[in-house]
Amino acid sequence: MEEQLEPNEMIVHLGPQHPMQPGPFRLNLRLKGETVMDADIELGFIHKGIEKILENKTYLQGITIVDRICYLVALVNEECFVGCTEKLLGIKPPERSQYIRVILDELTRIQSHLLGMGEFGEFIGFVSMFMYAIREREEVLGLIDMVTGARVTHSYLKFGGVRDDLPDGFKEKALSVFNNLKKSVDDFEEMFHTDRIFRERTVGVGVLTADAAKNLGVSGPVLRATGVPFDIRKNEPYLVYKDLDFKVCTETAGDCFARVQVRINEIRESIYILEQCLDQIPGGPLFPEGTMYGRRTPVMRVPAGEVFHRVEDPRGEMGMYMISDGSDKPYRVKIRGPYYPTLQALPPLIIGTTVADVAAISGSMDGCTSEADR
Amino acid sequence: MDVAEILKSLTDAFPEAISEATAESEIRAGSYVDKDKVKKVCQYLKDSLQFDHLCSVCGVDYIKRNELEVVYHIASYNHPVVLTLKARLPRENPEIESIVSVYWNANWYERETYELFGILFENHPNLKSLVLPEDMLGEWPLRKDYEGFPNKTARNLV
Amino acid sequence: MGEVKEKKASKPDETSEEGIPGVITTTTSAISDLLKKTKVQDLINWGRKNSLWFMTQPMGCCGVEMIAMGCAHYDTDRFGIIPRNSPRQADVMLISGYVTKKYLPALKRLWEQMPSPKWVMCIGDCSISGGPFYESYSTVQNIDEIFPIDVFVPGCPPRPEAMLQGFVELQEKIKAKKDLGSEY
Repeated sequence: MEEQLEPNEMIVHLGPQHPMQPGPFRLNLRLKGETVMDADIELGFIHKGIEKILENKTYLQGITIVDRICYLVALVNEECFVGCTEKLLGIKPPERSQYIRVILDELTRIQSHLLGMGEFGEFIGFVSMFMYAIREREEVLGLIDMVTGARVTHSYLKFGGVRDDLPDGFKEKALSVFNNLKKSVDDFEEMFHTDRIFRERTVGVGVLTADAAKNLGVSGPVLRATGVPFDIRKNEPYLVYKDLDFKVCTETAGDCFARVQVRINEIRESIYILEQCLDQIPGGPLFPEGTMYGRRTPVMRVPAGEVFHRVEDPRGEMGMYMISDGSDKPYRVKIRGPYYPTLQALPPLIIGTTVADVAAISGSMDGCTSEADR
Repeated sequence: MDVAEILKSLTDAFPEAISEATAESEIRAGSYVDKDKVKKVCQYLKDSLQFDHLCSVCGVDYIKRNELEVVYHIASYNHPVVLTLKARLPRENPEIESIVSVYWNANWYERETYELFGILFENHPNLKSLVLPEDMLGEWPLRKDYEGFPNKTARNLV
Repeated sequence: MGEVKEKKASKPDETSEEGIPGVITTTTSAISDLLKKTKVQDLINWGRKNSLWFMTQPMGCCGVEMIAMGCAHYDTDRFGIIPRNSPRQADVMLISGYVTKKYLPALKRLWEQMPSPKWVMCIGDCSISGGPFYESYSTVQNIDEIFPIDVFVPGCPPRPEAMLQGFVELQEKIKAKKDLGSEY
C-alpha cells in the first residue's frame, strides 16, 4: 500500500484495538483528505488454531472447543458440529430434543441480533442504543442461562440429543420475556425510523446490490437486505424447521439501514418461531431409545466418511466439513464461518466513502472477529 | 436442479477432468477434478449450472497416501445442492491454479490454505500470509507432520 | 485509617435536604475537616480506587462478558468503573482472552501507552493458563511473566459478577498501597 502513495495521501491504520471493531483486526486505509482510496484488512490477531485443536480432541471434547469459535452464537456452532457428527453416525435426535435445539438456536439469534444492533448504534455515536439493547439481551440470556446453566459457552448439545430437559416454568418465563421484548423491538424500530441523525448516517450508506452481494459471497442479513431470500433454514431445512411456519425477512435497499431493519424483523420472526415451538413441543425421551447415546460411554468411534453440514447462523451461512477416519478423533474439520466472507467484502464496500462511514458500514455487518480468525 | 442431472452435465462437459463423480445424497454431490482444469470446471459450474456461491476452499493432508487435497465446496443461492470438488496434489511442491477470477471470495480462503498447508495458488493476486505472523510462514501448521504441536508450555500444567 | 467516609453536616439548619434518602449533604467545613484529619496517601488512594476506567478491548469470549459488565444490567458505573476506548484515558487493562503471537506486540504497545498509575487484570482461563487453547500453535502462554498482573479472575468465561468481584479486589489492593504512586 505504501508504494502507491501519492502526494496529499496518507495511510491510517485502524486497529487492532479500535472502538469501531467487534474484535481485533487491522484495517489499513489509504486516505485522500477524508475519502478512502484503498483499504486492506489484516487478520489473525486472535487466530487460535481451532481446526488443529479439533483434530487432537475426541468428538465429545470438540463440542467444548467449537463453543469458542464465536462466543455470541455458541449454540449454533454446537448445532453445526453435532449435526455433522450425527450425520456421520447416522442417527437423528428425537423430536423433543430437536425442538429444544430450535428454541436455543432462536434465542441465540435474538440475543446476537440485539447485540449487533447495539454495537452498530455505538459505532455511529448512538451509545444509548447499546444500553437499551444490552438490557433486553440480558433478559434473553437469562432464558438461555435457565436452560443450559451458562451465559456464553454452554456445551449443552450432545450427540443424539441435548444434555438436560427444559426446566420447570420455562414456558411462562419465556412468554413474559417475549411480551416485553416485542414492545422494546417496536420502540427500537420507531427510534430508528424517526431519528433524523440515525437515518442520515445509515440510509444510502454502504449500498450493496444483489448481484454484487452474490459476487462477494456474503450471506445472512447482509445478503437478505439486498433482496435475496437465501436462508439455510428454508433452502436446506435441518432439525424441525420444515414443520415451523416462518418467513425469510428481506429488504431491497441493501444499505446499512436495511440491514438493521432485517435484524429487527428477524427478531420478531424468531419470537414467532419460539412461540410455535413452545406450543408444539412434544414429550418423550431426549435421546434415541435403545442406543448408547446420552449415557456415560467409553470412547466413541465414528464411522469413516465425510460430510458437509450447513446451518443458519445469525450472521449467515455456517458450514462445517468433517472427515472421519474411523477413530475417536476427527481427521479434519474445516469451519466455514459466515463473517469471514462478509469481512472480506468490507474493503470493496468502503472504498470511495468517507472515514466516518467506515464505522457505520463495518458496524452494520454485525461482526465477530473471533469467528473469522478461528 | 437434480444431483444426477448436475453430475451428468458435468461429466459430459469434462470427460477427462472429472472422475469418481458420486451423488452422496439428494443435496450433496462429490467428485475429483484434474488439478489443471479446476478453473475451467468452476467457470462452467458458475455459468451453466447456477453454482454461484463458493462456500469454502480448504486443504486436507493425507500423509499416508503422501498427498494433499484441495477441497472446494460450491453451492448455489438458488438450489440446495452442494458440490464437493477435490483436487489431488503431491506433498512436495503442491501447486494449483487460483480460482479468484471466477469466485471473488476465494481470495482469503486460498491465502489461508497457502499459509496453513503450503499449497501454492498460481495467478493469485496477493498470495501472502493472512492469519499467521510473517515469521511462521513455512511451518505449515495444519499438516499432519507439524512439529510444534501440541505446544505445552504453560507452567502450571506440569 | 484508610477509608474516607463522606461526613454529614453537623448542623441541621445548614442543609435543607436533610432526611432525603440517598442524598448525602456536606459542608465546606466538613470537607476541610476531612482534609485536615486524613493522610494525603489515603485521600489519593480513595480517589484512585473509585475511578478505575478500563480499556475495552474484546479479545475473546470474556470480551463479550466484559461488554455486558460495563453496560446497563450490571452497571459498573456505580463503582466508578467506566469503559474507555482509548488506552490513553484508561487505568486498567483487561486481558480478556488468549494472547496470540501476532497480537502480543500490539498488546505491549497498548500497555505502554497507558499513563501511570495503571493496573492490569487477567480475565478468564485463556489469559491465566492458556485455557482450552493452551496447546495451540499460535498462542502465547505465561502472560503473567510479560505483564505485571494485579488480579486474576478465573472462569471460562467468568460471569460479570465475578469480574465485578475482581474489580473490588483491585480496589482493596489500591486502598492498601503505602507509596505515593511511584511503584506503579
